[in-house]
Amino acid sequence: MKISLKGFFTGTLLAAAIPNLAFAQGIVKLGQIEAQTGPNAIYGFMSSQGVPVAVDEINRGGGFKVGDTTYKLELDALDTRGDPKEATIDLKKLLEQDKVKFVFGPFLSNVFVTIYPYAKQFNGKFLMLGGGTRIHEYVGQPGNEFLIRTWNWDAGPKGFGERMVDYLVKTAHPKKVAMLFQNDSAGKILGDTYEPMFKSRGIETMTEYFEPGTKDFSPVLAKISEFQPDYLFPGYSDAALYDIVRQSIEGNYSKKFFLVRGSTGPGLKNKDGLEDYIVYVPKDFEEAEKNDPKVKHFIEAYKAFYKRDFPYDQAPLCSSSCYDHVYMLVAAMQKAGTVDDVEKIRTTLLGMTYQGIWKISFDDHNEQVFDFDIVHLKKGGAKEVIHVEQ
Amino acid sequence: MQVVIGQILNGIILGSLYGIIALGVTMTFGITGIVNFALGEFMMIGAYATWYFSDQAMLPFPVAVMLGVVLAAVAGLVADQVLFRFTRNNLVNGLLVSIGLISVMESGALLLFTTTPKSMDAVVAGSLSLGAITLPRMKVVVFLLLVAVIGLTWLGLSRAWLGRATRAYAQNPEAAMLMGVPTKLLQTGVVVYSCALAGFGGGLYASLFSLEPSLGGLFILKGVEAAILAGVGNLLGALAGGVILGVTESVGSLYLPSAFRDAYGLVFLVAILLFRPAGLFGSQR
Repeated sequence: MKISLKGFFTGTLLAAAIPNLAFAQGIVKLGQIEAQTGPNAIYGFMSSQGVPVAVDEINRGGGFKVGDTTYKLELDALDTRGDPKEATIDLKKLLEQDKVKFVFGPFLSNVFVTIYPYAKQFNGKFLMLGGGTRIHEYVGQPGNEFLIRTWNWDAGPKGFGERMVDYLVKTAHPKKVAMLFQNDSAGKILGDTYEPMFKSRGIETMTEYFEPGTKDFSPVLAKISEFQPDYLFPGYSDAALYDIVRQSIEGNYSKKFFLVRGSTGPGLKNKDGLEDYIVYVPKDFEEAEKNDPKVKHFIEAYKAFYKRDFPYDQAPLCSSSCYDHVYMLVAAMQKAGTVDDVEKIRTTLLGMTYQGIWKISFDDHNEQVFDFDIVHLKKGGAKEVIHVEQ
Repeated sequence: MQVVIGQILNGIILGSLYGIIALGVTMTFGITGIVNFALGEFMMIGAYATWYFSDQAMLPFPVAVMLGVVLAAVAGLVADQVLFRFTRNNLVNGLLVSIGLISVMESGALLLFTTTPKSMDAVVAGSLSLGAITLPRMKVVVFLLLVAVIGLTWLGLSRAWLGRATRAYAQNPEAAMLMGVPTKLLQTGVVVYSCALAGFGGGLYASLFSLEPSLGGLFILKGVEAAILAGVGNLLGALAGGVILGVTESVGSLYLPSAFRDAYGLVFLVAILLFRPAGLFGSQR
């Protein structure tokens, strides 16, 4: 049998090209820097739990198409342990070694402030979708185009904090509010943000800070009780809130609470002792699960993926850089028609309104705006959920 | 004034928790020559076990605490046989092993229990009030139990043969060996007992505070501070050291910014060490 040289080469080239034409595949690398362990892990944990669920779902569904190419996601989720130095090393690995263009996190402000100068050098080359409170100061500023903040801001026209304080004034008419926050970047910002909000509504305030890792709050609560506040406004994670709420009730310091960070957990745990517990919750999952199929699906997917119970009280933190955001980023890449052009993807992402577990959009400062719930607990655990559309 | 008295009482109660860890630190150091920084993790085991058996398995609280103590002791025995027995009388190696163990045990707890804080239902509800002073009943119960256990440990070490053997070994290992003291068994026993004490502290801690995997790491520092403040090697001094530390922190937070609460105890510790380098109750050499 004679085979011409020309025919042989043509056949070989076709054989090599056909699989690529039919099954053109690519990988989009995603990075994540969150505190999965350590004292402040509570804020990074849920984000680090939600992203793998979304990545797994997308990949098991065959990936996603952009143009003629089908892409799968590859996630490198690194544990910063809440340590800024470790986070810097992690980010360096993601950006320089792995050439990642999309980084989720951080949620912790102290981590963000430290990595910011390094991250800024890569402006235009990657996107950082983080929920940290301190990101608010930098996001939307020239030279910080890489930053997208994945959390509602407290103050301003669309600020959820303003809505929360309005609700407190409308329902409880307080004259005095005592604020008790952790002595760190985010705690100080909360103090600076909420003091004027209360004052502008004629409410007297007192602000105290506690050391990170504090478990016994009796001394500071005793100090606060001399101010005789109508409401205690503590922050900012459940790690401290369980103890503050319990000790405040047990010591007869205050039985009325107003919270903009944390969950319903501390209130429900102490439901018989408290008088009032008003808390900002990105989503009351127990309630939403009954009516929203997307929420129900997420809860089932979470249980199946991790083979454990769904953390209802921590899940609201998923509104930052988590499950929805992976889908949103994929949708933005598809709409922009590229997985590499960071600027094009960014512009598309910021112009989108995404209806996932939350209805997410971004304001003029690249800051996320989403619907949320106000959960109002009364003595005995009677619960009222007020949904706030943004 | 009543607020101050209230905080002195609160400091005494909190300090007794520091004291039980300090007791473990001081005993382990005296017999094995290592500072076991992982003791906080055995406290964490006791705390989570108590929470689990009491709140999840619905066993009575005393049973849950006892199971927590047993688990902490067994974990201590395993750690001793697998790790610590190779580091006897080597301060640096012991320190490195115990620090490594913190990482491993904390990661294990994180895997099992996640970062979501666990808060136990009230074991003894309500508060005791005396004028403007209010103390949760459970805190008072915890204090009494801790003082009883520390007191019994002291009695056991000063009156029982095993206790005398332990002290003899701490003072002069060679002489104790020549007198027939089973030294290896004694060293293992002390490590296990220290871990059981930490587990007991953890069980009671769970009835007062919420739990997170990192709780041991935060608490061991207080235990070591209290042991140094009292003078390492002094058993009742460990309780006193813990109480002094607790009162300093509680009262200090009333008059000074509570944001620097830990610093008040440390400043006090440094001030004491300047004048008494061997600690408040340590023998001056």
